[in-house]
Amino acid sequence: MKRLSRSFISKILVPFSAAMFLTFNAFGGVFEGGDAAKGESLFKANCASCHKTSEEVLAAPGLKDVDVRWKGKDALIVKWIQNPQAAAASGDPYIKGLRDKYVPTFGWMAGQAVSEADIKDILAYVKTAADAAAPAGGAAVNKCMTLEEIKAEKEKNEESDGTVWFIIIGSILAIIAVAAANISKSLKNAINEREGLPPVAELSYWQSSKAWMWANRKFVSVIGLFLFCYFSVVGYKSLMDIGVYDGYTPDQPVWFSHAIHNCQNEIDCNYCHSSAVKSKHAGIPSVNVCMNCHKGIKKGAITGTSEIQKIYDAIGFDPTTGSYIQGYEQKPIVWNKVNNLPDHVYFNHSTHVSVGKIDCKNCHGPQNMYTVGHVPTADEINSQEDLVGLVKLEKRPFTMGWCLECHNKKEVDLAGSAYYQQMHERYKASEVGQRTLREIMEDGSATVRELGGWECGKCHY
Amino acid sequence: MGITKKYWSSLDELQNTAAAQEALTSEFKRDQSVQDFLNDENLNESNTGRRDFLKFMGFGLAAATLAACETPVVKSIPYVVKPEEITPGVANYYASTYYDGNDYGNLLVKTREGRPIHIKGNKVHGIAGGGLNSRINASVLGLYDGARLKGPKKGGADIDWNSLDSELKAALAAANNIRIVSNTVISPSTQRAINEFSAKYAGKVKHTQYDTVSYSALAKAYGGSVPTYDFSKAKTIVSIAADFLGTWLMPAAFTSQYAQTRKPEGEWMSKHYQFESNMSLTGSNSDVRTAIKPSQQGAIAAALYAAVTGGSASGVEGADAAIASAAAALKANAGASLVVAGSNDPNVQAIVAALNTALNNDGTTIDKKSPLNLFRGSDEGMAALVDEMNSGSVDVLIVYGVNPSYSWMNADKFNSGLQKVKTSICFNLFADETSSRCTYMAPDHHYLESWNDYSPMKGRTDLAQPTINPLYNSRYAQESFLRWSDNADSYYDYMRATHNGGYTAAMLKSDNNWNTAVHNGTFAAAVAVAAMVTPVATDATGAAAPAAPAAAPVAAEAPAAPSMNIGEAMAAVSSAKSGEWEVTFYQKVTMGAGNHANNAMLQETPDPITKVTWDNYVTMAPADMTEMGLETYIGQCDCASLVTVTVNGKSITLPAMPVPGQKRKTLGIALGYGRGAGNEEIGKAAYQTGRAGVHLTEGDKRQTIGGNAYPLVAMNGGHASYTSSDVTVAAAAGTYSIATTQMHATVMGRDSVIKETVIATYLAEKGAKRGEASYNLAVTLPVHADVNKDGTIDVNDRQSVRDADLWRDHPVEGVGHRWGMTIDLSSCLGCGACITACHTENNVPVVGKDEVLRHRDMHWMRIDRYFSSEHQTIQIADTLANTKEATEKGTIGAYREMENPEENPRTVHMPMMCQHCNHAPCETVCPVAATVHSNEGLNNMAYNRCIGTRYCANNCPYKVRRFNWFNYVTNDKFAMVNPAQDDTLRMVLNPDVTVRTRGVMEKCSMCQQRIQAGKTEAKRNGTTVLDGMIQTACAEACPTQAIVFGDLNDATSKNAERANSVRSYHALEEVGIQPNIYYMTKVRNIEATEA
Repeated sequence: MKRLSRSFISKILVPFSAAMFLTFNAFGGVFEGGDAAKGESLFKANCASCHKTSEEVLAAPGLKDVDVRWKGKDALIVKWIQNPQAAAASGDPYIKGLRDKYVPTFGWMAGQAVSEADIKDILAYVKTAADAAAPAGGAAVNKCMTLEEIKAEKEKNEESDGTVWFIIIGSILAIIAVAAANISKSLKNAINEREGLPPVAELSYWQSSKAWMWANRKFVSVIGLFLFCYFSVVGYKSLMDIGVYDGYTPDQPVWFSHAIHNCQNEIDCNYCHSSAVKSKHAGIPSVNVCMNCHKGIKKGAITGTSEIQKIYDAIGFDPTTGSYIQGYEQKPIVWNKVNNLPDHVYFNHSTHVSVGKIDCKNCHGPQNMYTVGHVPTADEINSQEDLVGLVKLEKRPFTMGWCLECHNKKEVDLAGSAYYQQMHERYKASEVGQRTLREIMEDGSATVRELGGWECGKCHY
Repeated sequence: MGITKKYWSSLDELQNTAAAQEALTSEFKRDQSVQDFLNDENLNESNTGRRDFLKFMGFGLAAATLAACETPVVKSIPYVVKPEEITPGVANYYASTYYDGNDYGNLLVKTREGRPIHIKGNKVHGIAGGGLNSRINASVLGLYDGARLKGPKKGGADIDWNSLDSELKAALAAANNIRIVSNTVISPSTQRAINEFSAKYAGKVKHTQYDTVSYSALAKAYGGSVPTYDFSKAKTIVSIAADFLGTWLMPAAFTSQYAQTRKPEGEWMSKHYQFESNMSLTGSNSDVRTAIKPSQQGAIAAALYAAVTGGSASGVEGADAAIASAAAALKANAGASLVVAGSNDPNVQAIVAALNTALNNDGTTIDKKSPLNLFRGSDEGMAALVDEMNSGSVDVLIVYGVNPSYSWMNADKFNSGLQKVKTSICFNLFADETSSRCTYMAPDHHYLESWNDYSPMKGRTDLAQPTINPLYNSRYAQESFLRWSDNADSYYDYMRATHNGGYTAAMLKSDNNWNTAVHNGTFAAAVAVAAMVTPVATDATGAAAPAAPAAAPVAAEAPAAPSMNIGEAMAAVSSAKSGEWEVTFYQKVTMGAGNHANNAMLQETPDPITKVTWDNYVTMAPADMTEMGLETYIGQCDCASLVTVTVNGKSITLPAMPVPGQKRKTLGIALGYGRGAGNEEIGKAAYQTGRAGVHLTEGDKRQTIGGNAYPLVAMNGGHASYTSSDVTVAAAAGTYSIATTQMHATVMGRDSVIKETVIATYLAEKGAKRGEASYNLAVTLPVHADVNKDGTIDVNDRQSVRDADLWRDHPVEGVGHRWGMTIDLSSCLGCGACITACHTENNVPVVGKDEVLRHRDMHWMRIDRYFSSEHQTIQIADTLANTKEATEKGTIGAYREMENPEENPRTVHMPMMCQHCNHAPCETVCPVAATVHSNEGLNNMAYNRCIGTRYCANNCPYKVRRFNWFNYVTNDKFAMVNPAQDDTLRMVLNPDVTVRTRGVMEKCSMCQQRIQAGKTEAKRNGTTVLDGMIQTACAEACPTQAIVFGDLNDATSKNAERANSVRSYHALEEVGIQPNIYYMTKVRNIEATEA
């Protein structure tokens, strides 16, 4: 990622009109009094894919000190966010500067469907986030993989597997051993011949090894027993691995890095996997979603340039002219599916993400620390100590036991929804219901299991 | 008091023959004994040695193990540019319209990731509540049929559209006589395109419209257009052989209207008299059904007219009592009654029209002012066109939306005429009977791929919108007309222009209004009937008249008064010729006019009356068959007798099917079968498939399903006549196997399955609590304890079934959700729309005729049809003794009469699916706990757990569990019938429901996927699950609201209200398994004495 110095950010002070000042004083201005908490979710949903709260330029200028730069131009910044082209038409010199600087590279920002109150909240968040980030000295950034680490992982990925060499060396050694045994036998025969003894009986390998085993039967039995146990255990374990894919990291047509997008650039999971909140599928983003940013970001730090070119090839975009190629035959990107449930399992993302408010990382692990998609292991998931509401599970990820374990542990937020409130009323209204309710609430909480989350028909139909 | 009746599902069960007794004891037919199997000589040829067996076994085991270790790499391909409205995994619904020349319906099309997968009625904006029938909701399969034409063709070879256009334009320019033959065109824009075409070739074009099944006599009686009917306003309904609930005019709409007044809870209940020869779906639902000969239809109408107008009429044999009763009821409800007739005889229709006028029904139940635009075809015009073609004077023939080489009564003559036409072109989607004979095939888009506008009746225009991009290189027929008129517009633009002030008012000029109309699928705008007529086609002389200007909206005009002289009509019907044998040609509810021959789902949907799948047959009265020595026991064997029926000199040989209620000495033959007699490419499922799964052949041609009865239809006074008295019938050599679905689900003498009563009894006990009404008493069991404390233990010591229970209670009542259904037997008409809706929703496999013969049909829901006859012979004898008929026969004669109740039985249709018992017997016997109870009252089935012991099916008292015998998706046996085996048809599968594999048990899941989705939606939106938010496919498809689904724990829900009503009961309540499905007692609008 190309880092730009902040030198270009000129603080242009412009006189402001008294009328504008008065209008916004009535509200206290857009730069004051917003709700940073609300602003955070709005920012992540609408802005984070292009803007950072620091000075860094992602696909648009960093927003640090935006209040200083736009001081007094409250109405204009609202207009600028809601309809950039219209705001530019106002002829404001600062906007003109911005336009000249960024539009040729990144294109126009799309008008955002946010109200003035929303903007107030967002700006409040930008201010707090920028302030918070400053003293920490980029601690959040440090938690991400560094570019070197990412690079190393890519190289590691490209290295070939060592197992094959073990097999080759092993077979060469076996051949040598057999040959040595033959030589030893020939030599022994030669000695016997010279000493007038009868030659060593012409035994097959099998017969000779049987004789050897008989001669060392105690040793062979112990070793044999050990090997039997060993292979039974290994065999059992490998059979139990069938259909379990933790640690699975398939090659992908595009060497996409979650570490860069999600961790370093703080793009929310739902920005790309947007259907997770409303559908059973989280979805793989379509290329037009990539183009929201990559229309502007054409270079990457490691292999970005060649990898980003693959998106352009798919959708038909010419990075040199910065425009789409007319009449281009678009080619979809064929990804390898990472998290793959069998067809007889019905899993609904929205039930877990929107209703259960489960963090993506609880099932997908610290995906922000990976490059291409990866099925996490239980350890990887459980090691995210700082994850709020993390349900630690022992079973291996994406097995049924793992699902059931979570359904057994996870509590349902009963108060938060009219649906559960109604259910609660129904339980209270009947005798059977009250009894059941007492059983459920014995430990003071209702888990998914207690509300039916262990029933076959909830996931299999 | 309740009615004690004996219910029987087949004649043999009634007569208790040996065969029936055997069938009762074995659920499945004993196909072959072990002895037979071992003695089979062919067995030795398939010799496998022990060592070979072990080798294969070992290899197989190793291979399977190795294969399982391989990690499959699954590809995932997202859109490049995702359409904004599509979210993967979330269905979109689009309003659209179905019209195929025979059926009409307003739809909502469910699409997933851009593929239409399910069709339901447009309940908000549709005609009469948007009811659909099975033909329409199964029509989604037609879209994906792999046999569809992939592009334009000339003489069997591919051609591109440009060459086709230039060649055709040359042919048109050189032509003197251009003829268009189509079904009734009800699309204003299509009509405009045809008009533009006529104007371009002014003086040469003539447009002939004919309907596959004609209603020309009805239209004639009303001055050219069929009026609209409203059955919901009729207190007395008399139908003379009109199957208005199954196939007549707009059955989907009529079904909804009719059912509104068939619920006894309403202010009043309509009384329905039916006079007919075949037992039709409508007849089976009537209160008073009288079997008549087809030739008596006119006489019945005349007698009714005479009785109503105070004239005198000669009696009608065997129907006088019913006529008197019907006439009295009609007179009493003048202005709120309705008489309809299915006959295509203008005299009969004229009398019926006059009768309705005399009854003051015009303007209430009959609306002549908003006539239908449907069915304006002319049989005479078509016959004239065929003559013209044969004279060799037609240069270009354009065939649009019809298939005359199959469905025209004189198809041979049409075909010979077609050979004399210089250039012919057909827009049909398949290389069917007609298009394969035409010079060019120019396939139109499927209706789910098309924009269109339809004006089914005056004052209403519906829109169809595409729900998928065209799958093949097809083109709008309308665009073809435009191209040949040198107009380069796309049909969409052309259609929008139509509604910009051309034919309709300019209300849709604004994009906003237009979008609303597309969203709703309809808009109220008067398209004048006159505008719907090709100008030249009305010219009787055949000389060309100039095309009417397209722009001027034509003022609506009221249809002319009936032109028939009633006296002449009365005279004509009185001299109607009767014959020893008479025949009726009818449409089957599942097949209609034959447009869906390639639809495997419809072929396998059982006929509502005979329960036969995959076939047509001759329906006969059982007594006639016995007289002729024909086999009346239609079990699952090669035993149906073949008969040859000769009508007007043309013969057809079909199996004979005994149908109770069929008038003696009459026959019924279904139209719409025998498609593809020339081995045309009309779809794999349109041909008979044998045991091995390959098509059966005769010579080099594949065998058709059933025979084509259209050639037996004759022209009578310029109207196609669907009855005939010129009939002979003779037994033919050989037998034939017919696949029926009901033989293996006998009622086993458990009469508590069905409860019914009469209206007077119902009303008298209306206020009773559930379980207290005499016709619906709560079930108690005699117990060995002194319950009534009278000191002795005797039969009076009875306890409620609930108290004598084996099972532990599942805490579902009053707790959380309790999903359930109520099924009103009074409103269930047996149409079968629920069956096909269930099929497409739940990926129910189609298994083919051979498997149905083995009772391995996979229907998750079926509709049991029971006939009933009387137990209480003495009382009935008294009743009979009071009738003229019985008096003549004497008491003994009356008793003897009662031994043949099948002459006119009463019918009940009962939808049957998994009852989701709270104390389910299937759950306790499952050794692997694959079927278990949910805390929401559902009986869940986990397929991946099931090991196929089938204990559950054995233990199910309702016999609703279906064992998956084969891998229907890959097994070659089903390659011709199962949609999942076709590369394109597979796209119709619902991605939310597992496609089950071999060796598991399956059954109704109460659309678990919809329940889960509905709950998630409620939770996501932070709301409760509102009543009606979740609908099962069957409840949604039911045009009569006989099936209502909902949460029984939600006291305010419609379902809970119905479940607590005085009429509701559980089927087989005495077993004590507490189902979550309630049935509601059928109430008949008859006198207690008639019961």
